[in-house]
Amino acid sequence: MERSDAPVVIFIGQPNCGKSTLFNAIAGPKAQTSNFPGTTVKHTHSLVSIEGRLLNVIDLPGTYSLHPADPAEKVALRHLFLEKPDAIINVVDASILGRSLELTLELIEMGLPMVVALNMTDLAEKKGIAIDAAQLETRLGVPVIPTIAAHGRGVKELLEATFRCLAANCRGTRPRWTNDVEKAIERLSEAIPPDFSCVANPRFTAIQMIESGHLFCADFLSDIAPDLKTCLDEVRTELSAKRGLPAYEVLAAERHHLSQKIFEESGRVAHRIRRGWSERLDDVLMHPWLGYPVLILVLLGFFFVIFKVGGPLETLLLKPFANLKLVLDARLDNRLLFHLADGLLQGIGGGVAIVLPYFIPLLFLMALLEDVGYLARAGFLLDTFMHRIGLHGKSVSPFILGFGCNVPAIVATRILESRRDRILTALLIPFIPCSARTTIILALIAFFLGPWWALGFYVFNIMLVAFLGRVLTFFFRTSSPGLILEIPTLKVPALKNVLLKIYVQLKSFVRFAWPLLIGGSIVLGLIQSFHWDAIINTVLSPLVAGALGLPRELGVTLIFGFLRKELSLLMMLQALGVGYRDLLTVITREQMIVFTVFVSFFIPCLSTFAILWKEVGKRIAFLSAALSVSVAIALSVLVRLMI
Amino acid sequence: MTLLQAPQDAPLRIVDIAGGESVRRRLFSLGFNIGDRIALGGQSILRGPVLVRNIDLGVTVAVGRGIAQKIMIEAVDGTV
Repeated sequence: MERSDAPVVIFIGQPNCGKSTLFNAIAGPKAQTSNFPGTTVKHTHSLVSIEGRLLNVIDLPGTYSLHPADPAEKVALRHLFLEKPDAIINVVDASILGRSLELTLELIEMGLPMVVALNMTDLAEKKGIAIDAAQLETRLGVPVIPTIAAHGRGVKELLEATFRCLAANCRGTRPRWTNDVEKAIERLSEAIPPDFSCVANPRFTAIQMIESGHLFCADFLSDIAPDLKTCLDEVRTELSAKRGLPAYEVLAAERHHLSQKIFEESGRVAHRIRRGWSERLDDVLMHPWLGYPVLILVLLGFFFVIFKVGGPLETLLLKPFANLKLVLDARLDNRLLFHLADGLLQGIGGGVAIVLPYFIPLLFLMALLEDVGYLARAGFLLDTFMHRIGLHGKSVSPFILGFGCNVPAIVATRILESRRDRILTALLIPFIPCSARTTIILALIAFFLGPWWALGFYVFNIMLVAFLGRVLTFFFRTSSPGLILEIPTLKVPALKNVLLKIYVQLKSFVRFAWPLLIGGSIVLGLIQSFHWDAIINTVLSPLVAGALGLPRELGVTLIFGFLRKELSLLMMLQALGVGYRDLLTVITREQMIVFTVFVSFFIPCLSTFAILWKEVGKRIAFLSAALSVSVAIALSVLVRLMI
Repeated sequence: MTLLQAPQDAPLRIVDIAGGESVRRRLFSLGFNIGDRIALGGQSILRGPVLVRNIDLGVTVAVGRGIAQKIMIEAVDGTV
């Protein structure tokens, strides 16, 4: 069967319902992507073969309803409407079925073949909730399959049900609204002209129109379909006059009661919701005072583990590359060939031996924190501090991700509802020392000046982010709308899922970064071979030697810092022509600090710049670059004068 | 009375959410509707956010004080 012939099945569910875990259990490492690289970029579908039959499965970001509040939810909706899926797999969290069903009822109105994956049935049982899947199936009119995604339970049944559903075209029982609402929906859907481009069907479109915010197509609806616009206004006014609520709330409230009713009919709450281990642990984790020492311990432990694992690994891996270089030097007489081979070697060596040893433990711990649900708790604890810099607790998780790599951190700003918060967070993230910059801080500051200096650098760095946040809020005066953040139940992470996450992220990192690293190194090899570096160094020498007081040979390394920050370190050694351990023979400790400060801040790396452009726009990307350059120059000069 | 004035851990009922459309929508979609039984969980230091638990649903959200102030509540079972 051709790829395009395979039925398209979309996974959709509310955040934290275990949707991605279930998706991974089905698509496995074959999933080409589960994070969405860009809102405008068409994402790759994952083609899975189940007992000889093919399915084109797509995982969407979680969404609470079909009326998106943040950019991540908008991505989910855009794909749901544009992909025109052949079937939907709606993943619901059995432990909060009453709420999850609200999205289910919205989806049923789309009239597409649908299967409900009743996920986290184990968690529901622990909470004392038993759900009769058969009864739920009768009420919804679509297959309901109990699953425990974390253990891969129910996956096979779910897929079989999906194939059956595709064949039988099971569309579900549309929810029955009260008479006046039903009439309003009917009236509006009949008013939709036949040539009007509907989403799914006229009835679904009518519901969406009534429920959407007041700005929904108001600008053009009166131009393209004036009668429809009049009808919509009338229907809304009538509904809200009758119920004393805005029209969208009339529908939301009805749907809420309907899902409560379905939940009560098909579920049994055996006892009052029990306080389990996770609630008791939460009492400590989110305690007004105890929470903070725990947070500090978690973060310190995080960095400790990364460097305890990364450091020795790096030393171990660097050795063979250094030896190989010696061999090359002795064997290759042709200098051009040597520089090319050396560049290639440095690039591969940098990718394998410097980045990966820190990157892998970091991805592992990050996935762990994310899956346990600690990031949301950190958001709660740090909200009050974030307010001091004009943001709120939801920005905490992109910030923490930024310590790993700024690129996914900027993508993660999509969870922020307001554009102002998003831009502010995206402007601050490039100042967070990512793993590449941490490598430099460790290699230069910690190794040559001692670990306390490195820690001091870190603290200084975080204070700088806070200071910049304060300054930037002067320019973004509108206040932040305030925090509303779900605190998901603490979960024991499934190792398989964590490993899969690492695999997917590592793969995209290797694909994206390695060509840059290797290409950059080869170019530098060429530059040196032809002695172009002298020209670059001369051009940059007023800045490098004049303002910063550094050896002018370092000018060329700054260019490469833009490609990837860790390149600066490699290039520094190459440019100065010394081994790592002999670095202090050519530059002083003070110069080392100035260099580290400058390299850390002077520009977001190419990948960060590209993702900023893609996520928040060209203007912000350039603004970020300008901000970084000015901050870096000001700080480095200041540091030079102070020490 | 607003959620901020309520005692911790006592069962409460949401009477109204006095916020704008986006706040109301967000709270509804997270499972906090008018008439739902909730309880005020922990509070963070320095006038930080508060935790609100939907008793029947078992969902907890952290909301900033500004938003908590807009959640109007009444006592359930005369416990307050």
